Amino acid sequence: MFLLTKIADLVQIAPDDFRKQSYAAIEDNINNKYANKAVQKIGLCICLWDILWTSEGLIGQGDGMVNVNVEFRLVVFRPFKGEVIAARIADQSPEGINLVTNFFDDIFVPWTDLPDGSEFEPSEKLWVWKVDDQVMYFDNNEMVRFKVMAEEWHDQTPSKPVEPVEGTEEQQPAPINIKPPYKIMGSMNGPGLGVCLWWE
Amino acid sequence: MKILESQNALLSNYEVYQHIMDQRTRNKAQNRRVPGNAHEVMTEVVTYLKEKPSPLEKQDETQTYSPAAISRLLEKLREANLPSELTKGEILSILNLRPLSSAVLSTAIEDMEERFGDEEQNKIVDIVGEVLGRLEPAEGAAGDEMDAEGEEMDVEAVPSVENGY
Repeated sequence: MFLLTKIADLVQIAPDDFRKQSYAAIEDNINNKYANKAVQKIGLCICLWDILWTSEGLIGQGDGMVNVNVEFRLVVFRPFKGEVIAARIADQSPEGINLVTNFFDDIFVPWTDLPDGSEFEPSEKLWVWKVDDQVMYFDNNEMVRFKVMAEEWHDQTPSKPVEPVEGTEEQQPAPINIKPPYKIMGSMNGPGLGVCLWWE
Repeated sequence: MKILESQNALLSNYEVYQHIMDQRTRNKAQNRRVPGNAHEVMTEVVTYLKEKPSPLEKQDETQTYSPAAISRLLEKLREANLPSELTKGEILSILNLRPLSSAVLSTAIEDMEERFGDEEQNKIVDIVGEVLGRLEPAEGAAGDEMDAEGEEMDVEAVPSVENGY
């Protein structure tokens, strides 16, 4: 689920951090920059693991920031394909089920990857699994196990503002990019997968 | 910023959990405050790792997971003389999931039915239960005995399995 990524970066330590010990200042700086941020093709960065090498601090002209080149390893959340993880059901729709963990919100299981015999109950907005005369519910807020099938990366680089269309009087609102930077597609079709209580 | 190695090493949930807890004790000793977003994501990760069905739920009390336990698990799996070797990813999954039934074990191991017979599957499940501890007996499928008595029973049960070694 978690892996280590080696990164080289320039860390700028502001003068009011000089009171801290160097490793503490660098660590806080790196944690501030990377924690809880999704880096494209790398994963969701959690925190610093260790510092491998730092250069000497160089002070640039014009400001008092100490520039340090650092090589370090970060703990990154990026489950590999085929890994089985526990998550909680957040909400459901006819397209599938949205799962979340405490720290990651964008896991989606499309309806094609639910066990055979699953149906969507529009009245309760829940998916149910009917097998051998037994009806099992995918209740909201239940812990489930799912298998990671694929991941999707959406670059969040800001795009140009949209030109207002000729002839209309109102300004078209700029399209908001609602795609998450890192999305995991999962499957619950298989032995041991699905609501944890079913397999205890 | 330059990515030198996008995958330097794989980490088990236990290692990440231990790292964050160590960091917390260090920060407390030095009275240090971590930046907001780091604190937020670290707390969320720890809460997630302690939530059922994670095996690290009782880690603070029972210390079931440790570097010694992990090497013991590998040794026992080696001694079991299984017909097919378990890959690194599969051992990592077993550490993270702590499968106590063949159904959950099949999620951790690829093509389990073809590589291992029923007997071997049960052997692996037994080894996992021995080394990594089990779920509380009171909080099983019935789920109606969530009282302190049931939990107390387990806190004594798990260390005694370890004490056998």
